[in-house]
Amino acid sequence: MARAIRSNTRVDLIVLTTCIVLALAARALPNTMRDPVATGMRRSFLAPLVLLQERAEKGRQSLLSADAKQTYLDSLSLGSMKAGSLESENDRLRKIIGLGSRLRWGFIPAEALHGRGVRDETTVILSAGSRAGVSRLSPVIAPEGLVGVVDAVDPTMSHAMLWTHPDFRVSAMSPDGSAFGIAQAHLTGATGGYLLELRGVPFRATLKPGSVIVSSGWGGVWPRGIPVGTVLQEIKTSEGWARTYLLRPAVNPADVYSVMILRRDRLAKGLDGVWQNLAQVDAAAQRIVVSGDSAAKNAALAEAAARKAVLDSMARANGAAPLGATDSTRAVAPRPAPVRRAAPVDTNGRRDTTRRDTTRRDTTKRDTVPPPDLPLRPGVTR
Amino acid sequence: MNVGGAIRALISFLIFVVLHYTLRPLLGWRAPMDFLVLALLLAAVRVRPATAAVIGFVLGLISDSLAPDALGAGAIAMTFVGFGASYLKAVFFADNLVLNAFFFFLGKWVFDILYFIGEQRVHGFELVQQLLLWSPLSAAVTAAVGVLLLFIMRPLLEPSTA
Repeated sequence: MARAIRSNTRVDLIVLTTCIVLALAARALPNTMRDPVATGMRRSFLAPLVLLQERAEKGRQSLLSADAKQTYLDSLSLGSMKAGSLESENDRLRKIIGLGSRLRWGFIPAEALHGRGVRDETTVILSAGSRAGVSRLSPVIAPEGLVGVVDAVDPTMSHAMLWTHPDFRVSAMSPDGSAFGIAQAHLTGATGGYLLELRGVPFRATLKPGSVIVSSGWGGVWPRGIPVGTVLQEIKTSEGWARTYLLRPAVNPADVYSVMILRRDRLAKGLDGVWQNLAQVDAAAQRIVVSGDSAAKNAALAEAAARKAVLDSMARANGAAPLGATDSTRAVAPRPAPVRRAAPVDTNGRRDTTRRDTTRRDTTKRDTVPPPDLPLRPGVTR
Repeated sequence: MNVGGAIRALISFLIFVVLHYTLRPLLGWRAPMDFLVLALLLAAVRVRPATAAVIGFVLGLISDSLAPDALGAGAIAMTFVGFGASYLKAVFFADNLVLNAFFFFLGKWVFDILYFIGEQRVHGFELVQQLLLWSPLSAAVTAAVGVLLLFIMRPLLEPSTA
């Protein structure tokens, strides 16, 4: 028993010594041999463990970067939310700059400060006052068109009445001057306050939906040519002597933040060319509509002709007369064209105005010998 | 140890090895637990010292293969730890969790001492700091995790009564 134990202990020591020697040998290997051995082990039976460790490392990296990624995503979301408003603001400011470059002079840029009261849909505070040159009844415009008019002025700010105000009126017309009327807020119905109506248009003047309406320049407040709105439809009113049209306003008051206040001296010079392209666009749209109508009409005619041809073919195939043909000979044979004689012209150049039926045709048979009872004229030999 | 016990011990051993290459890098602690040492200690108390030395040598080579500069250092350390654990199993591996925890702590610390001395990569104060601060911390974590796993895997690790 004791011998067996000693033997086992000896074996254990031999194995331990062998393992230690092998480990020391591995430790003593030069780098050129160490790497191939380790690489061979990693690529063979240790490959699954290496793969597990790689995945675990990636998982740890993902866990560690999750907060940073979430922060980045939050920042990105916040930035994208701001981007929309910045883009629209940028677009609005570009339009304002474009309007300013077209006006060239005589305007005061201002910020429109919306309140939160009951009457905020009809009035607005402007960040420019009399020190900047604003005066009462100065027109307030936006790149899209008419906004309102200044009704009270302070040194540093002013108060403007928007077109939605019940007391607001502007004389308006079609760009070609064919129809005039008074534009004011459309205060009835569910859309009251957000649409315009053009009242007092003469009954003979008809405006098509989509037609642009601009200020007429009458009244001394508004210069001519500022876009007011676009015709939506005609509305029925109790006034039988004039038409009333519903307009979609050119400017939505809720979207007004940057405006231009026109100075009085600028009004006298007019606004020619500032919104000139608007009338051109309107005319082009009208032409497109007309050409579209013509094309539709031609297409309808062609379709009707094709349908008729098909029906005729079917009728012929069935042995019946083609539809619409009653007497083919009469219908087909052309009538001889009437021969017109040239009207006799007298020597004096006057046409013979005698009616033909009043002159009797000479039916006497002409002989070579004249009748004996006819007297000869003097100088005539027989 | 019968066949069933050997299979259960083998499964436990593989679980520890897999945990070493999955949970340990996932946690990435500065003082990490060492599941390979735990696997070696749990295997060593069930086999003869010679077999434990061979198991330690193989495990050491496996761990060294991922750090080629230290190839052999882990094998030396694991061989000694495995042989010593198997030789001293009667002393340490009693049915006492605290004693088992001390057994794991001591095994990990001895392994670290042997490994860092054999690796010869860390010197001077850094070596002292490693051996007296980080290695005991790592050994403590390893012991705690070892005890926890012993508690969880008790049905799998208990020797068969038959």
